[in-house]
Amino acid sequence: MPERVEVTISVNGRKHRRQVEPRMHLADFLRHELGLTGTHIGCEQGVCGNCTVLVDGQAVKSCLMFAAQADGQRVTTVESLAEEELHPLQQAFKDAHALQCGYCTPGFLMAAAAIAAEGRRPSREELREELSGVICRCTGYENILIAVERYLEDRGEVEAVGG
Amino acid sequence: MKSAPFTYVRPASVEEALHVLDEQAGAARILAGGQSLVPMLQMRLMQLDALVDINRLPGLDEVRAAGAETIFGPLVRYATIERLPLVAERLPLLQCVMRFVGDPQIRNRGTIGGSLAQADPTGEVPLSCLALDATIVAASVSGTREILIDDFLVSSYTTALEPGEMITEIRFPLAPHHFAFLERNRKHNDFAVVNVAVVGRRGSDGGWSDLRIALGGVSDRVVLAVESAALLEGTTLEEDAIAQAAQLALDVIDPPTDVRGTAEYRRHLVPVYVRRALSKLRDDHEPFDA
Repeated sequence: MPERVEVTISVNGRKHRRQVEPRMHLADFLRHELGLTGTHIGCEQGVCGNCTVLVDGQAVKSCLMFAAQADGQRVTTVESLAEEELHPLQQAFKDAHALQCGYCTPGFLMAAAAIAAEGRRPSREELREELSGVICRCTGYENILIAVERYLEDRGEVEAVGG
Repeated sequence: MKSAPFTYVRPASVEEALHVLDEQAGAARILAGGQSLVPMLQMRLMQLDALVDINRLPGLDEVRAAGAETIFGPLVRYATIERLPLVAERLPLLQCVMRFVGDPQIRNRGTIGGSLAQADPTGEVPLSCLALDATIVAASVSGTREILIDDFLVSSYTTALEPGEMITEIRFPLAPHHFAFLERNRKHNDFAVVNVAVVGRRGSDGGWSDLRIALGGVSDRVVLAVESAALLEGTTLEEDAIAQAAQLALDVIDPPTDVRGTAEYRRHLVPVYVRRALSKLRDDHEPFDA
């Protein structure tokens, strides 16, 4: 029996207690232990950013953090966004054709959610840099930038994302 | 791509962390930001018996001014360095290079201590720490010692840290106000093909002193172009002197050929980038140093 550690991690506002192997990374924890498969795994080496989630409000790559490290912390995943209807950020992606295959979209949504949660309104060039940690192979990025910009502009009273 | 099994230790104090490192005798590593260590574990480039997670230890993520010195805990994250006014004011080079380290997610996690322990020969953090003449404080169960950055960085991914040691502080002396940093990448956010960091002090007469020129990506570690800097001491960084110093920088490099570029290409880039960095330093419109 491999060694296990107990973790209690709050994910999208719900606490989950599990026994996990220390080597299990947070992305696998979300997907395999909790069945939250919205967090996608592309490269598993911190390059593609598709597995981006928020940990205590900060965007991180969940493949580069062990679940044991997130013990006691608040994790927010893409599943926190939509309820009955698409979240305005997701709607902005849909409206701007900011996704094609959609594999990277959870990563972009969470990277954008972190910017929104901090109340920032970066310029186009700053936004390009802010989102540079997620790789998309379909869209050419322009529509993603447009979607995030529109969302940040129109956000108004929309509640900031965060668990 | 999963790491081999290891024991996860979350010590309650630095002392406890040092005891674990001592007991494990080289089979354990400190886990700070993990942005290089975790991929290495998952690619099985490294296997460890234990990881010692220092992320919860209090006080290790602070930056403080102590007279002329600026002292960093090992856990200060890149994102903090990027935003902290104290760093902008005292070590503008260090703040400037952060934008070139990884991407925002990486910068939210990665730490200054972790980057130094990783000792990437293209790393912007080792490069700027070398330009800024940092001192590394390392602790083990038998005490602490100070290591000059030039002695600390031994070779590719190799430092002077003993298996039982961890970095507890990074100390910077008063830095010259003027700096320039240039980097050549194949693509945005990629590891550097070549990077250059220069710092210096400009006197009220326009003469330059305390110049340091650090080069990355051109050897098995980041290196100082000592002779090039010496040549420029007291000058006004006129074109001829810069050109000569830039050429002289070739003496300290031993560039690799790898997926990012050939040794020949790097030899071509070094004088060009040193010249550009020194011109940028000179043409910077900041007032002279007091």
